[in-house]
Amino acid sequence: MPVESRTDTAPGHDPDHDELRRLEAGLDSLQAVPETPRGAFRRTLDGLLPPVLLLIILVAAWQAYIVVAKPRPDLIPGPFDVFEALASAWSSDRLQIAVLTSIERGGLGFLIAVAIGTPIGLLLAECRPVRRALGPLLSGLQVLPSVAWVPAAIIWFGLTDATVYFVVLMGAVPSIANGLVSGVDQIPPQLRRVGTVLGASRFEMATLVVLPAALPGYFSGLKQGWAFAWRSLMAAEIIAMGGTMGFGLGSMLQQSRELADLSGVLATILVILFVGILVELVVFAPVERRLLRRRGLMAAGLR
Amino acid sequence: MTSPGSTVVGGIAVEATPAAAPIIGRSAGPAAITIDALGKRYGTGGLVLDNINLSIEAGQFVCLLGASGCGKSTLLNIIAGLEKPSEGTVTVASGKAAVMFQDAALFPWLTAGRNIELALKLAGLARPKRRAAARELLDLVNLADAADKRPHELSGGMRQRVALARSLAQDRKVLLMDEPFAALDAITRDLLHEELERVWRQTGRTIVFVTHNVREAARLGERILLMSSRPGRIVNEWTITDTGSRRIESPEVARLGDEITDQLREEIRRNAS
Repeated sequence: MPVESRTDTAPGHDPDHDELRRLEAGLDSLQAVPETPRGAFRRTLDGLLPPVLLLIILVAAWQAYIVVAKPRPDLIPGPFDVFEALASAWSSDRLQIAVLTSIERGGLGFLIAVAIGTPIGLLLAECRPVRRALGPLLSGLQVLPSVAWVPAAIIWFGLTDATVYFVVLMGAVPSIANGLVSGVDQIPPQLRRVGTVLGASRFEMATLVVLPAALPGYFSGLKQGWAFAWRSLMAAEIIAMGGTMGFGLGSMLQQSRELADLSGVLATILVILFVGILVELVVFAPVERRLLRRRGLMAAGLR
Repeated sequence: MTSPGSTVVGGIAVEATPAAAPIIGRSAGPAAITIDALGKRYGTGGLVLDNINLSIEAGQFVCLLGASGCGKSTLLNIIAGLEKPSEGTVTVASGKAAVMFQDAALFPWLTAGRNIELALKLAGLARPKRRAAARELLDLVNLADAADKRPHELSGGMRQRVALARSLAQDRKVLLMDEPFAALDAITRDLLHEELERVWRQTGRTIVFVTHNVREAARLGERILLMSSRPGRIVNEWTITDTGSRRIESPEVARLGDEITDQLREEIRRNAS
């Protein structure tokens, strides 16, 4: 067996070490996961094309039905009637006012819900007795349709914006708090142990380990919270009208119903749907994609 | 058998001294870890660890070897301060110890570099110095180019090296390792043995390395402690007098491994009845 004795151990000139470095570098490149990034244009196209195509097909089928079956226009309006209703609402400024009012209420209500739901969620996640006491109630509130609060809210607050905000909060807060709780619950225990052995204090553990680790779960709670806020808002606006309350999309829907204007009703529904989709696409989807991709949690089909 | 070719490739000088001999009452240097009459039980269950007395010299590489469930990880957790002993005391002379686990447990929302910077931050290093210090540590484990990669973009071996760099970032004299290479493939593990040994020689850390892999213990350890199961006791120990590095395929490691395996099997057999 050849015995090599080496005396040159000057830093940077250790052949054993260089050898090991080369070996490791070789193994690293063998084990590296090859990435095939796609351009931004291609990604947008892949995301946009299928839903737009489907929309065109649906509208075409709708129009074809109108042309072939010729139903009563006051019972089943065609796409052009609905478009006309939209245009007239736009030209009378009702559409703009309704959309802005609703988005403002929904957005503001959602932000307040985040401000309330987040500390509740943190408290629930980190404090066992609070969780035992409040957990079931909060899960129950999440299931309870928040429309059920509208009558009580009208009695308490009258026909004011406070009624709308109350209903929105009752819809959104439980979802946000529960989202944060499940986000914290899903943190691998190993990450907390690492925090402990790295010497993190209680505060450092919460801000540097627990919160960032719980972010994906928290974010899906936020998304659900927004959905509940938007739904509750529409319900509240349909039921409670007049007084000092502004004119929102729900009010517009109700007004069209009172005028037996089915085209107007369908047009408003489409606008409500469109706002929901827009918020998802513009606000939530990019943040979520970024969040998940950075952690390598993205499903292959969504990349 | 070690072929001459592989020795040249590895470039490691192998001394042909007898690899191992059980030694009793070795003259000890300053103790980095002192364990005195340590016992551990969970609730009212049976003893997990029974009367462990141990003194680990500063700068020593100690392998803690035993079958699954013998309490070696529990012993490591107690030294790390993650669990409390039921009786007896553990003293780590330098204060707290750094710990490395079987899975790298890197924070997935941070890049490799940031993971190390976080450890430096928690160790109290000022912000402007962190970045350079993190690069230096990554370079120590030959991952300087991977600083901006996220954990999911790294292979298992690379993640473990980042975890090693992170535990070195704490700048604690004692490094505890809980089966850190158990989940890696044999080729990667072999390289990481070399890497760890180099880091150990370069930094002079005291290392306690828990493993159930006899060859791994014989390859790495200066001192190997064999634990029995239920209750966990230290039943035998070997001190390797050869101070040079050795390869896992070498006959010395194989011979020592066989000897330890025989004893380990004996210990396991006692649990059959």
